[in-house]
Amino acid sequence: MPDPFTATVIQAGLEAAADEMFEVLRRTAMSPIIYEVLDVGTGVTDAEGRLVSSGAGIPSFVGVLDKSVTAIRARHGDRIAEGDVFVTNDPNHGGVTHLCDIVLAEPVFHDGACVAWVASIAHWSDIGGKVPGSMPADAADIHAEGLRLPMVRLFEAGRRNAALFDIIACNSRQPDVVAGDLWAQVSAGRRAARLIRGLCARYGAGAVRGAIEAALGLGEARARAGLAALPEGRWEIEEPQDTGPPWRAAIENRDGRFTVDLREAPEAVAGPHNTSRDGAVIACQMLFKAVTDPERFANAGSFAPLRVLTRPGSIFEPGPDAAHGYYFETRIRLFDMLWHCLAQAWPGRLPAGHFASIFGTVIAGLHPDTGRRYTMVEPQMGGWGATAARDGIDAMYSTSHGDTFNCPVEIAEARYGLIVEEKALGPRPDAPGAFAGGRGVRTRYRLRAPAMLSSGLSHARVPVWSCRTDVPGGTNRLTVGRRGGARQDHAFVSGLALEPGDGVTVETAFGGAFGTPETGPDGHVSFGPKTG
Amino acid sequence: MTERTLRVATDVGGTFTDLVAFETGPDGAMRIVTAKSDTTPPDFETGVLNVLAKGGIAPADVDFLAHGTTVVINALTERKGVTVGLITTEGFRDVLEIARGNRPDFFNLHYVKPQPFVPRHLRAEVPGRMTYTGQERTPLDLSALPEIVDRFRDEGVEAVAISLLHGYANPAHEIAALERVRELWDGVSAVASHQITREWREYERTNTAVLSAYVQPVAARYLGRLDDGLKARGLRNSPYIMQSNCGVDSLAAISRTPITMVESGPASGFWGAAELGKLIGEPDILALDIGGTTAKCSLIEAGEVRIMTDYWIERSRKKAGYPIMVPVVDLVEIGNGGGSIAWVDDFGKLHVGPQSAGALPGPAAYGKGGTEATTTDANLWLGRINPEYFCGGEVTADMAAAEAALRGVSERLGVSVDAAAEGIIRIANNNMVNALKLVSLNRGHDTRDFTLLAFGGGGGMHAVALGKELQVRKVVIPNAAAVFSAWGMMMSDLRRDYFVTQLADLAAGASEAIEALFAETEAKAGATFEAEGVDPAQVSFLRFGKFRYQNQEHTTEVPLEGPVTEAALDRIAADFHAAYEKEYTYRLDAPVEMVGIHLVARAEVGKLRMEPAPLGAPDAATALKGRRDVDFALEGVHASDIYDGEKLMPSMALDGPAVIEDPGTTIVVHPGDAARMDAYRNIHITFGEGT
Repeated sequence: MPDPFTATVIQAGLEAAADEMFEVLRRTAMSPIIYEVLDVGTGVTDAEGRLVSSGAGIPSFVGVLDKSVTAIRARHGDRIAEGDVFVTNDPNHGGVTHLCDIVLAEPVFHDGACVAWVASIAHWSDIGGKVPGSMPADAADIHAEGLRLPMVRLFEAGRRNAALFDIIACNSRQPDVVAGDLWAQVSAGRRAARLIRGLCARYGAGAVRGAIEAALGLGEARARAGLAALPEGRWEIEEPQDTGPPWRAAIENRDGRFTVDLREAPEAVAGPHNTSRDGAVIACQMLFKAVTDPERFANAGSFAPLRVLTRPGSIFEPGPDAAHGYYFETRIRLFDMLWHCLAQAWPGRLPAGHFASIFGTVIAGLHPDTGRRYTMVEPQMGGWGATAARDGIDAMYSTSHGDTFNCPVEIAEARYGLIVEEKALGPRPDAPGAFAGGRGVRTRYRLRAPAMLSSGLSHARVPVWSCRTDVPGGTNRLTVGRRGGARQDHAFVSGLALEPGDGVTVETAFGGAFGTPETGPDGHVSFGPKTG
Repeated sequence: MTERTLRVATDVGGTFTDLVAFETGPDGAMRIVTAKSDTTPPDFETGVLNVLAKGGIAPADVDFLAHGTTVVINALTERKGVTVGLITTEGFRDVLEIARGNRPDFFNLHYVKPQPFVPRHLRAEVPGRMTYTGQERTPLDLSALPEIVDRFRDEGVEAVAISLLHGYANPAHEIAALERVRELWDGVSAVASHQITREWREYERTNTAVLSAYVQPVAARYLGRLDDGLKARGLRNSPYIMQSNCGVDSLAAISRTPITMVESGPASGFWGAAELGKLIGEPDILALDIGGTTAKCSLIEAGEVRIMTDYWIERSRKKAGYPIMVPVVDLVEIGNGGGSIAWVDDFGKLHVGPQSAGALPGPAAYGKGGTEATTTDANLWLGRINPEYFCGGEVTADMAAAEAALRGVSERLGVSVDAAAEGIIRIANNNMVNALKLVSLNRGHDTRDFTLLAFGGGGGMHAVALGKELQVRKVVIPNAAAVFSAWGMMMSDLRRDYFVTQLADLAAGASEAIEALFAETEAKAGATFEAEGVDPAQVSFLRFGKFRYQNQEHTTEVPLEGPVTEAALDRIAADFHAAYEKEYTYRLDAPVEMVGIHLVARAEVGKLRMEPAPLGAPDAATALKGRRDVDFALEGVHASDIYDGEKLMPSMALDGPAVIEDPGTTIVVHPGDAARMDAYRNIHITFGEGT
């Protein structure tokens, strides 16, 4: 074990490796959803696949890559060699999320032994399948969602597998763009691997391993300290959904263990609304982190006290043919439900609900000025919930996002050849006597050329939840306005043909309101008016 | 040179106003005078006049005066600007408040978004649209402007910012709106975004215009009073003002868009590093400025600083911050200076900074009531700083207070006081090593090709340890390192950086449009200089293109030699591919796109000329003043020679373990290393074999 100062120095180096990988991806990628939305995660794991450090980006990608590495190790075992780079995107094969998210992982060797893994995940604009953007809303199974890459070698002992590059390019509607993204991820991995090899050369592989152990111990100590400060008990929630039966879950915090029980979840569906068990675990990890230790510092130890129970065959543990395209709406609904559960259990500790949707909006077509194919993939910003002390925050990305940047209007108009007519804050909610939720955003696009629209959103019908039952939050809305005047709202839509002059209006929900929690004589908690 | 010339740099900081005067005699010999007095808000010019008097400098004798000030950054961070009204494109007044929607502190459900500098009721909209190619889609309609201006007046607005969509591509609408505002409101302080930047991204550009308007009246008042005050005392020429792009500009030009001063503090030091590098034959420099509260670093390649427009204030892993799209030297700054506080977190881990003990109470050893251990206290405890010669002998080191503070850290860590002090130095050094890596290794530069030039009060103390870790060629500590930034100001050119967004495929037929854009921008820059009385023959240009592979977003800047012709396109593309591969390890067989240009226009104004001193004998015995035990952290404790820096003469050489002390700084020379003074009194340190 290195001395504590050396351990700190090595740990800073491992954090820097993940951060650097992230920065390289941001600067070199070709899909806007990578370089602007930062739908990207980077990470370093130890030789066994335990998460050591994560690059900035979004919290919902922290804790993905360790699961990928674990699956790759289970599949390839001792045939893993120095210079191998693995690629996967399939939730059945270590991919965790959906086929659009490509994971690259490579072992880092020092003196012939694996000391760590570096890995990245990034959302590509198009990986084939039925519609541009590769997220058909009507996909009945995973085969409609694009090319599947089941933990195969992109590089074998340092030698490029040219055939695989060709297969990937051939299966995408934007071969140049995905080639650029693929190389960006390769480059990011090289950068991080070099930094880690440098740490091994400078301090020795034993010291690096020791520093990793110390870091994991620190992660767990932080989590346990945070958990000990939270009330114990068992709480249940039932949350209505825009479509289908309500969801149920239970959370128990007892004896230093935090258990999320999802076994009452609905059956898996024959549509793209399932999430892998790993994906459901990540939603639970995000919430656990937010309530125990909301610092960005996270590693495998940070989640040690967490246990997640799922039921095979449910939407949180579907079978091998299940479609996953819109897993992110399912996952944010899960997060939202668990958050709601704890907001009720611990009045005043958590803000009221936010607009709770990724609201990914895809417009794809040929640029009217250049004739080049483009795919706009944009999540939306919305209103956040009020807290016990203030109104909610206006216009921010969802809890699944983080250091995610919206696309500037000036760049969108140049890159996609459409017109953005308005980008404004939505209505200020009426919340008399309470702290009001933050405002959503209204964005109006006008098409200059034919294009295809795909989108998916939650809270289209069920309003965002409040900490004041008499003051509900808002709803999210997507409206297509035809040039002739016809208007129609959509929740999940894909491949909808748009004509020049048609408009697409996105309106996101305002957040939930907050009154003051009051405990009645029977122990029941209600939310009164705001104070202070 | 036939007569004496006097060049003076004054620098207004948050606490002190500094003066450094360089007096060059007919023989080229230079005398340096320094002085310090209190900063005097809100009448900052008083502090400047005070410090001149204290230094014995009569303004009438001054040939060239350069001035740096933190007035802009302070007005921003202390929210002491004026009420601003914003005029923007219909449908987009909330751009300033929506901002980019990001939440860097991404596990935190209680995140609070930064508040815009203009509240919604002071953000007005006007109809009219440009396209991204600069064509008018909808005509500008200013019919509501009289009502808007009246409302602004009623609401107490003191400055107006104008920012319209695609104003970077065609500023005609912004120009028309600006003219109309001035007609309607005589004498109002107003600025339009295109006057500051011609780059795209509406939130960044709008915020830049807003922040410029916010500080404009404050800065104009300050600069006007400074000019009047100095001239009333006989100063012959207006002072030149330091900017963030490593150049100076005229007081008149700066008064129009003072936001360009926002990061001028560090800029002069990095410019000094570039100029000194050229002087001593070291064009590739890693420059490090270690001050009291922060350390800043920047990379200089082939004698050129790197200037960018991706600058943010108040941005961190916790906060989104605010963008300012002005040319700023590419630097990394960390909260790690001499006064940075060492602390142990709830989980027993040692950290250094970013909190600082500041000037008051300062490090515990100042004896002004500080109880928290700082990097300076650790340096004292380990014998690296001489307790008998603390702050050049001006302060008696309170070693009991330093020990008590360090003991607090050592008890929390469960180690000895010595070990705690060593740990503080190691963690502080590692923070700086990581910052230096960000500007070098992580951008594809091999630190073994670079010289580490360290300045600021703390530069010499840490530079050798950092240089060894990064395996740089050697370490150089400049003469008068503590006031090196002022020297940099004396070496600055009149400089303006023009960034213009214009998309073009780098393919056959593209050269004409690219060359035209450069020529147009050069003509504009030249005309502006000429109108200010600068001889056009004195103006020189540097051209850069910003390129990327088609479909990418971020660009790589490539220097362009000579006119852009069809014949040159292949070479430009090859230069881009090479620069890209150097940074990112691969190149693509994909079309290359130009996103915009970066033009540097500069003219020399009264630059200091340095004359080498005659070299003497290498024996440094006459400067040896004693011997004491020094703890070098990683290398442990060694009995070390102590040298008086003021008695060292050019050519003198010495071997580590040693410490060189002069009034402004302490240079730690590690065991096995060798130091030598050059003809300009800089100390060069080279590493011994096997270290």
